[in-house]
Amino acid sequence: MLHTIIEKDSEPVVYLQGEMDLDCAETLRWAVQEAAGPAGVTLDFGGVRFVDSSGTGIFVRLCLDMQQRGVPLRIRNLTPAVTQVFDMLRVRQLVGEDLFV
Amino acid sequence: MKAHPSALPHKIPLGPVAGHDGRPATLRVLRYDARTTTLRTVLGNDPSPGLRAEIATRAHDAMTHRAFIVRTTPGSDIDELCLIPSGEYCEVLCIHSNGWRRTHGDHRRSLSEILSDLAAAVACGKLRFLDASQLAAELTSGEQMLYREITGPGTLAAARKHLSTGLEALGIAAISREHVVLGACEAATNTLIHGGGVGSLSLIKLPNTARVVVADTGPGLTFLNWYDKPAAGMQPSMGYGYRIILEHIDRISLHTCPSGTTLLLDQTT
Repeated sequence: MLHTIIEKDSEPVVYLQGEMDLDCAETLRWAVQEAAGPAGVTLDFGGVRFVDSSGTGIFVRLCLDMQQRGVPLRIRNLTPAVTQVFDMLRVRQLVGEDLFV
Repeated sequence: MKAHPSALPHKIPLGPVAGHDGRPATLRVLRYDARTTTLRTVLGNDPSPGLRAEIATRAHDAMTHRAFIVRTTPGSDIDELCLIPSGEYCEVLCIHSNGWRRTHGDHRRSLSEILSDLAAAVACGKLRFLDASQLAAELTSGEQMLYREITGPGTLAAARKHLSTGLEALGIAAISREHVVLGACEAATNTLIHGGGVGSLSLIKLPNTARVVVADTGPGLTFLNWYDKPAAGMQPSMGYGYRIILEHIDRISLHTCPSGTTLLLDQTT
């Protein structure tokens, strides 16, 4: 299960914790929409210990939607488990290298 | 912030192009026996007599030259054809797309990419296709350590947790455990998305092997996601599930037919 902690600041951050699978869509989307401000939002993956292709697909879809709406998105602190799957699924190429800070 | 070119919104809707006949894409697996020069259907429908003869000839050629061959044959009953010599047999993988095509801007993998992954895995002995009798024989082996029903996305986390505990009890090392759990989760998710929405996950103890069995009673491996537009706000399938399974599991066996799909995921203990 995915949990989120929202830090509303001048540069909002959503801390993701737990597991990202087919079940994470609503939680992830709600948290990002709740947090996003004029400066966009940062997603911190430091607490994600599992992600599969469905969780990745949901994340990619969210990134593309945010970009379409002009909401700046930043991604940081990928764990090894996330990095391995994201690299295999070529996520950086799909959503844009410049999102990863 | 400037969007990466590949991240531009879809200009053309996902889904089929004109010319598809409404039927889903299908996977067919045939096995050519060089000793008897016969071609047997392992998965999917039997090809027409003319196509059967053509495939047998191609399989014979592939075995003669010990060549892994990938062909594209537009306009025939097969779009993509892979011939994989293996001992005295030649495995033949065919995809008929029935006119469905990945459209511009769709970042999901193409059917030919998926087929190539499957064919390469067969070629290196990692993946085998089972007919119904082979599957039945395999399912009589071993001692069941765990059984979980997969009934919705909310059941996946508990299934992963119990599976990890069971694998640890069988002596599977931590890193290998993570790999098996990831592969099994991909398979279980497929039962929800493509396999009729309900499935099961079992852990079986075999000599020197932990086997995860993921089964559903859905319509079989039909690449249905290739003509269903993803739900609003969702991109649940990019066509990478099988790639992740093949990457993380030692040996995989697959049976699929119109009454369901079963995957056997074997990890050496």
